[in-house]
Amino acid sequence: MSDTNVKEKVVNAIKAIKNGPRAGRLYMETCAKCGTCASVCPIYHGKSEKRYNPAERTDLIRRIYRKYCTITGRLFGKWAGAEDFNPEDIEEWRSIFYECTGCRRCATYCPFGIDHSVMTRKGRAILDMLGKTPDTMQKVVDISLETGNTDGANDVAFKAAIEFLEEEMEEEHGIPIKIPVDVEGADYFYVPPSGDVLVNPEATMGLAKVFHILGMADKWTMSSKCFDGANYGLFTGNDGDMKKDNELYVQEAKDLKCKTMLMGECGHAYRIMKMMMEKTGWWGELPFKVENCMEWTADRIKEGHFEFDKSKNPQPVTYHDPCNFGRSCGITEDPRVILQAACADFREMYPNRGENWCCGGGGGLSAMDDIIEFRMEVSGVKKLEQVRDTGAKYIATACSNCKRQLTQLMEHHDEEIDVGGVHDMLSRSILINGKAADRKEYV
Amino acid sequence: MESLRFLFGVILPYVAVIVFLLGMIWRFLTWKKLASPPMTLFPASTSGGSPTLNTIKESVFFSSLFKGDRLLWIIAWIFHLVLVLIILGHLRVFTNIDQLLMSLGMSEDAILAMSTGAGGAAGVIILAATVLLLVRRLAIPRVREITGFADYLALLLIGAIIITGNIMRFGPEHFDLVLTREYFADLATFRNFTDIAALQNGTFVLHMSLAFLLIMCMPFSKLLHFGGIFFTHQLIRK
Repeated sequence: MSDTNVKEKVVNAIKAIKNGPRAGRLYMETCAKCGTCASVCPIYHGKSEKRYNPAERTDLIRRIYRKYCTITGRLFGKWAGAEDFNPEDIEEWRSIFYECTGCRRCATYCPFGIDHSVMTRKGRAILDMLGKTPDTMQKVVDISLETGNTDGANDVAFKAAIEFLEEEMEEEHGIPIKIPVDVEGADYFYVPPSGDVLVNPEATMGLAKVFHILGMADKWTMSSKCFDGANYGLFTGNDGDMKKDNELYVQEAKDLKCKTMLMGECGHAYRIMKMMMEKTGWWGELPFKVENCMEWTADRIKEGHFEFDKSKNPQPVTYHDPCNFGRSCGITEDPRVILQAACADFREMYPNRGENWCCGGGGGLSAMDDIIEFRMEVSGVKKLEQVRDTGAKYIATACSNCKRQLTQLMEHHDEEIDVGGVHDMLSRSILINGKAADRKEYV
Repeated sequence: MESLRFLFGVILPYVAVIVFLLGMIWRFLTWKKLASPPMTLFPASTSGGSPTLNTIKESVFFSSLFKGDRLLWIIAWIFHLVLVLIILGHLRVFTNIDQLLMSLGMSEDAILAMSTGAGGAAGVIILAATVLLLVRRLAIPRVREITGFADYLALLLIGAIIITGNIMRFGPEHFDLVLTREYFADLATFRNFTDIAALQNGTFVLHMSLAFLLIMCMPFSKLLHFGGIFFTHQLIRK
């Protein structure tokens, strides 16, 4: 692609901001440059450089918008903060727009509620349009669109993994506990992140135990086609990819005739299903509703269905609110209900819930090992401080990306702190026939 | 000289008010007609769940900023609060509201005391707040590095308006209330565009011209945050 061509495409994409959605245009015209976003940003906290300043990142786009779309920009040029696009900047953009985790903490504290993640995603969408999405990210999208999951696993591998989990549970409790697969007509269709089947499977075992104890083992199912809610179109800014990935799951939910799509411990997957797909009606009226497995389990705990042996989880446990669950979906109490029921020593980290600091791997960054130095030494620094302050030895979190980032972060900084899911802790201490799991190490 | 007075004393006020009104209306209408899919940010229901209530809370108390940057909140909130009081105080300059105030039970002395006391204090406080905003902008790296010429210009313009206002209040060349009211009455009723007595006061002309310039710039500058705030918070509270 020639430079003129690139320039034309980028400028047109930025000009299009004025036609909506409303957020983009307002963000072009409202910032007062007060610097509050930088003071609450995990990246800027890790390293206070201009390139990490959220208002500056948004200004990369805003300057071009001013140049082409505002009267003052056209009249006064750079005196009014307007600048033309320079095609040579694209390589720099590739880094800068992937140095924001899209955690939306800025929006929580900005006096105008400006959500810089919207402009980060816009910047990424522009890169994607030019075929300039970082290779590590594009690969995940491609694999997911090709195989239906971000690990590139097929149904044989999936079924083998499920069989393994069933064997493990039988060993733990001495009785068979089922994980139904491809059952048409089951009420609940469980959609975890694939990591919760293939990498850290305890969360899926925990949920299987919940259904088992309730006598609902035949009321739920997984799918050997659709076992990964992860959807990286959200991260690359490509709406087409995001919807294509999503459509497969919606179709499968319809084919299985489920009443509830029960999302697993994956923040962005739940956000896309609940806050985007369901709320804005991507596919019209749906024959099922979207619920999260933590909500579901927490409600059953509150109804008093379960007993726990907390001595199985004696270590101090803290909960890291994934940004997509906390700030973007309001799921904050349910994981705490589960952890407090299942663990002997639950500790909060501060601040938490909607004000929690990002792990430093949000927005898909967790999957990018080419920027691991940045994730460990810049974006993850605040989280490390927060975790250390709790004295916890286990960080529970409900997101595969957070888990990966946190695991690497603890290793990198020589902390002997385990990282895992929420249902994992339930799986280790919930009583079946009066007995908790006789557990092996899975890690 | 007379033509300059005509330009700044007559043309500018009309142009500024028209540009401001049309500009703001145009902004509001374009914002309103754009699609806005929900992008809720939690906790969303701090004000009983109503986005409108939340917007009012944010606009009046700057509650997000209160949590985010306490120091800036103090300066910014005082700045804007005093600004609103000063604008209200200027009503008495535009037109005679003394009768109204008296009917509310204020004595003539009390009105005068309020004007000089509260008005004088407001002029000093807002000048201090403006200086602090400027100092903050220069002193804190995360603010300085995102500050452009226009951001400084806005503060300097506001500072100049405040200073000329204070000169008229505290300086020897105090402006004439009666003449000023006459002038604004004439402007409002479209008559007597020449030989305006109030415009003989150079400081007054400067103060007023800068103020109308500021009003005129509002829809096209960072000052537009005055309009944006009523929309941006709605987006994340649906």
